[in-house]
Amino acid sequence: MAASLVRLVRGGLGRSFNVLNRSVSVIQQQSRLQSSDVKPTVRPKDAVAHNHLVAFGEYVAEMMPKYIQQVQVTCYNELEVMIHPDGVIPVLTFLRDHTNGQFRNLIDLTAVDIPTRQNRFEIVYNLLSLRYNSRIRVKTYTDELTPVDSAVSVHKAANWYEREVWDMFGIFFANHPDLRRILTDYGFEGHPFRKDFPLSGYVEVRYDDELKRVVAEPVELAQEFRKFDLNTPWEVFPAYREPKEAPPTLEAGDTSTEKK
Amino acid sequence: MASTAATRTAAAASRVVKPILSRDLDEAKRRVRELYRAWYREVPNTVAMFQLDISIRQGRNKVREMFDKNKHVTDPRVIDMLVIKGKMELQETIHVWKQKTHIMRYFHESEEPRSADFLSKFYKGHDP
Amino acid sequence: MAGLLKKTTGLVGLAVSQNPHERLRILYSKILASLQTMPQDAAYRKYTEQLVNDRLSHVTAETDVEKLEKKINCGQIEEVIFQAECELALSRKMSEWKPWEPLVEEAPPNQWKWPI
Repeated sequence: MAASLVRLVRGGLGRSFNVLNRSVSVIQQQSRLQSSDVKPTVRPKDAVAHNHLVAFGEYVAEMMPKYIQQVQVTCYNELEVMIHPDGVIPVLTFLRDHTNGQFRNLIDLTAVDIPTRQNRFEIVYNLLSLRYNSRIRVKTYTDELTPVDSAVSVHKAANWYEREVWDMFGIFFANHPDLRRILTDYGFEGHPFRKDFPLSGYVEVRYDDELKRVVAEPVELAQEFRKFDLNTPWEVFPAYREPKEAPPTLEAGDTSTEKK
Repeated sequence: MASTAATRTAAAASRVVKPILSRDLDEAKRRVRELYRAWYREVPNTVAMFQLDISIRQGRNKVREMFDKNKHVTDPRVIDMLVIKGKMELQETIHVWKQKTHIMRYFHESEEPRSADFLSKFYKGHDP
Repeated sequence: MAGLLKKTTGLVGLAVSQNPHERLRILYSKILASLQTMPQDAAYRKYTEQLVNDRLSHVTAETDVEKLEKKINCGQIEEVIFQAECELALSRKMSEWKPWEPLVEEAPPNQWKWPI
């Protein structure tokens, strides 16, 4: 049961690993021919650390199958645990208090807005274990109107982070001791980090000489908003590249074991 | 196992959502009334504390207007969210975290009505 | 005896324990008792029992504190006590949460798909 729940999805990453494996095997094959064919730009793979993370991820997922939906290790050797929003407090408490985890520091808490999804917000907790010198990332999801349990009861550091997430994204944290704005001005409307918040904002502020105070007025742009071409010329997610069709000579050889 | 089956049937019937504060519309409405009452009582204090150039009646009318702006909302969760934001604003007002300018922003004093017809736009200048 | 004990742990808020063996034995037996309430096949119970029994055997076998610290290999004995306290609190909360049950709800499709 637990084993079926542990979907150690290396997803796109796993696939890219396969690609890498293939390329490594290509290198090996070629290195027989010419010995000096090493790519300096390819990040060296740390198999030991990777296996450690995979083992710990499986361990955590086996411990809490009720909440953990998916565990994955990214291509940069970061362990990510995807959980159901109900399980925020149990999973964080488990990671903090369990002797084999001891993730006692909350390094960061933030959110990601992806408007096309059914649950548009992803909440990310980054934890650090000083005892074992390792990090873990816990992710969960919510939408505009679903409250998430506040992590303040587990990590005191979450207090201001959650206020920031509330202010910037409008995610409501239930049972937060002091949820109010932290970055925006009083009277500010909207949540600036949402993808549907306009780049220019809604109001502009100026000092009014007649009223002797600062006034806010709806923003007026002299020029229509220009559409900039912001695409970078570089490839942004090289690790997530869809696998190209491997040459048939390799398929027949050594890579048939890693198919999933 | 029973719980999963129950959730599945419930999900089949209608999407189950987690309430923010209120379970149904009546409870949400009760919260709105509480918030309105609190604002209503706070208006004289606010006018005195911030030394605003408005009468108490004007302030209360403004509060009424702000509440009326959202009277079409019927989803209890949306109402709850609006009430939460309203409470936060009330807290900011009571503790005088806000300043005069933030309070007077509700009244849009400096804004001129935008000209609609072609000629007045033409007289006004280049602005669209 | 008091002269032999170290003066400080060097960690803020963590006092030197006068009788670590006794304290650890009590804590570990409490954890084991709390684990008894969980179902047999729960992974949390299985692994924690294994871990606690391992440490408990070290505690009963070794009388010297410094050697015990080396054997457990998880910091000073006061830190080990702190870990045991945390584990005890966790095990009590765990029997309330019952995290060994099947998944509450599957993620919506494409929730964890990245890039979108």
